[in-house]
Amino acid sequence: MSSIRKPGQPGKAMDKQEGIHPFAIPFLWLGNKKVIDRFIWIPFFGLILTILIGLLYPQKHPAPWDVVPGSWALIGFVSYSLIVLCAKPLTFLLARPENYYGEGGLLDPEFSVENVEDEND
Amino acid sequence: MIDFLQINPGVWLILSGIICALIPNSFLTQLTRKCLVTGAPIFTAFMITQIFTSDIVVGGKISIAGIDLTTLRIDSLSMVWGYLFCLIGVLNGIFGLHEKCRITDSSALIYSGAAIAGVLSGDLLTLFLFWELTAISSVFLVWRGGEHAYAAGVRYLALHVLSGVILLIGAIIHANYNGGSYAFDHIGLQNLGGWLILLAIGIKCGFPFLHMWMQDAYPKASVTGTVILSAFTTKMAIYTLARGYVGTEILIYIGAVMTCFPVFFALVENDLRRVLSFSLNNQLGFMVCGIGIGTELAINGVVGQVFVHVIFKSLLFMSIGAVIYRVGTSKASELGGLFRSMPITALFCLIGAGSIAAFPLLAAFVTKAMIISSVIYEAHHNSALYVIAAMLLFASAGVMEHSGIKVPYFTFFSHDSGRRVKEAPWNMLVAMGLAASLCIFLAFPWGGYQMLYDLLPYEADYKPYTVDHVVFQLQLLFAAITAFCILKKSGLYPAEKRSEILDFDWFYRKCGLYIVKSINHTWNALDTRLSNATRNTYNTINKSLYGIFSPIGGFSKTAPSGLAAVMTAAMLILVLILVYFVR
Repeated sequence: MSSIRKPGQPGKAMDKQEGIHPFAIPFLWLGNKKVIDRFIWIPFFGLILTILIGLLYPQKHPAPWDVVPGSWALIGFVSYSLIVLCAKPLTFLLARPENYYGEGGLLDPEFSVENVEDEND
Repeated sequence: MIDFLQINPGVWLILSGIICALIPNSFLTQLTRKCLVTGAPIFTAFMITQIFTSDIVVGGKISIAGIDLTTLRIDSLSMVWGYLFCLIGVLNGIFGLHEKCRITDSSALIYSGAAIAGVLSGDLLTLFLFWELTAISSVFLVWRGGEHAYAAGVRYLALHVLSGVILLIGAIIHANYNGGSYAFDHIGLQNLGGWLILLAIGIKCGFPFLHMWMQDAYPKASVTGTVILSAFTTKMAIYTLARGYVGTEILIYIGAVMTCFPVFFALVENDLRRVLSFSLNNQLGFMVCGIGIGTELAINGVVGQVFVHVIFKSLLFMSIGAVIYRVGTSKASELGGLFRSMPITALFCLIGAGSIAAFPLLAAFVTKAMIISSVIYEAHHNSALYVIAAMLLFASAGVMEHSGIKVPYFTFFSHDSGRRVKEAPWNMLVAMGLAASLCIFLAFPWGGYQMLYDLLPYEADYKPYTVDHVVFQLQLLFAAITAFCILKKSGLYPAEKRSEILDFDWFYRKCGLYIVKSINHTWNALDTRLSNATRNTYNTINKSLYGIFSPIGGFSKTAPSGLAAVMTAAMLILVLILVYFVR
């Protein structure tokens, strides 16, 4: 079980070096904020590169949308954005409290809203 | 003398499961159990190799009450499922080595044995038998999840037993139309039996509106239980579709819908095992769609996709299972930054995520493309199928969202939750390592994917590693990752919140329950009123009779003798009149 959390307590930070796996030490830079902020350039350059190569090597069995250069990139970008932008209305429509069905016990009570509510009571 | 080669190999696993259930608990027997859990699938695979010597092997023929049953049939299609289930049985066995639970071990063996026996059965009645056995044996894996899993387990069992009953009715009707033959070959939708069997398969396969059991039960099962459950039931259903409904047009549309709708549910879901269950549903959609297309390329794509999907989906469930084992939760809102303490699990999860998203050099890249290509090829003759192809591409971006990015990102990266836990136990790492290696090996351009293609039922001349295929697939994936980065940076990507996301099961878990409760309440009220009315009527009659016949009643009172004589005369006259008219 996690070494830092008690039922109903919010997660508290602990010594950053404590409990880090030796294999993870060379990769701690992955958690660096600058690295995270600049990560976007990797897929972006990859995207530009593949669109350019796609112009040189078109689909052998093209679909109607393949007349547009970078069509799969466009489909990927638009589809992904559309899916993510649906989150807010979907959450509004579908999200309910964790104990909505009240079936006696949640998957992980230590981390559940039900537990916090019990403590408040 | 018993001919062991005439016995359905799944039966050996079932027997192992029964032995596991019967032997008492001790260190030595635990060791025996664990040897059985990992060894029995290997023995079963060995038996399949011994039996399958030609294109098709049929055996185990028995006749019961005049019905001829073929309990064993191994051909190029069922053989793939047989080996696959044995392989995943071994991986699951290794993953669950730390778990000292007799119920899990015996259920897992019986469940996987029933699934293997089901796909290797040659008639619909044998299939029905093992179909129901998978339901009954697997529900214990759900119930092992704890108190919260009890109701979900009951719902799971009810739906799956119902599916079996529908299958049996369908099989009987179908056999009536086919001169009493229960042979499990192409079924189609020519009669009511075919439709009923499709409905039964639809429940197991997670067709839209019939899918809810998957997201209800799988995330609530035990850590090992979910991994085992994710491998067999749905893939057994895909096999029955591939056997009985190849080229059935309606499956194209059902499959396309199946690929798209789970994407939205997975997006707003906080529980990562439920996200993976939606993802499983979405992947099944690709397979169902491919079966609907029905060309050799499509069927090869489906079979290949089933093979790699079982491996990478198990890998993903294993990695999240390892996280639950160490952290205690699979809620995205509570996780993040775990690559610091579980780097090896994180790496395996990334391989699983890359595989499901169909990155080049990883598993699904060499199989999913066959399904999408087969739709596009068919669309050249039927332009309406371009809509289906577009839906599959949309769903591919969706897969990238929920399984490719969301699961690994919110678990191992994202903000640091500050949790410092131990790396997963060695047995879990070994199982994940083997699954991850297979994900890489089966997509390896030089000798890897060719081995996978050799298993496919039709000759596969498809070339996945062409420049256009690699480049256009990368376009889609890079675009999706770029969109994620932009949406995350701009704050448009939704934060994970603890909540229960309503699904279609609301109709029976809330609405249906309300209706049942209302009926029960009305019935109780009616029953009370009826009881009261009955009691009042009895009391009234009782009182009246008492008033007449009791010692203080009217009949006990003395009457004048003249009145008695008149009454007797009147009765005599009445009798005389009656006799006169009757005669």
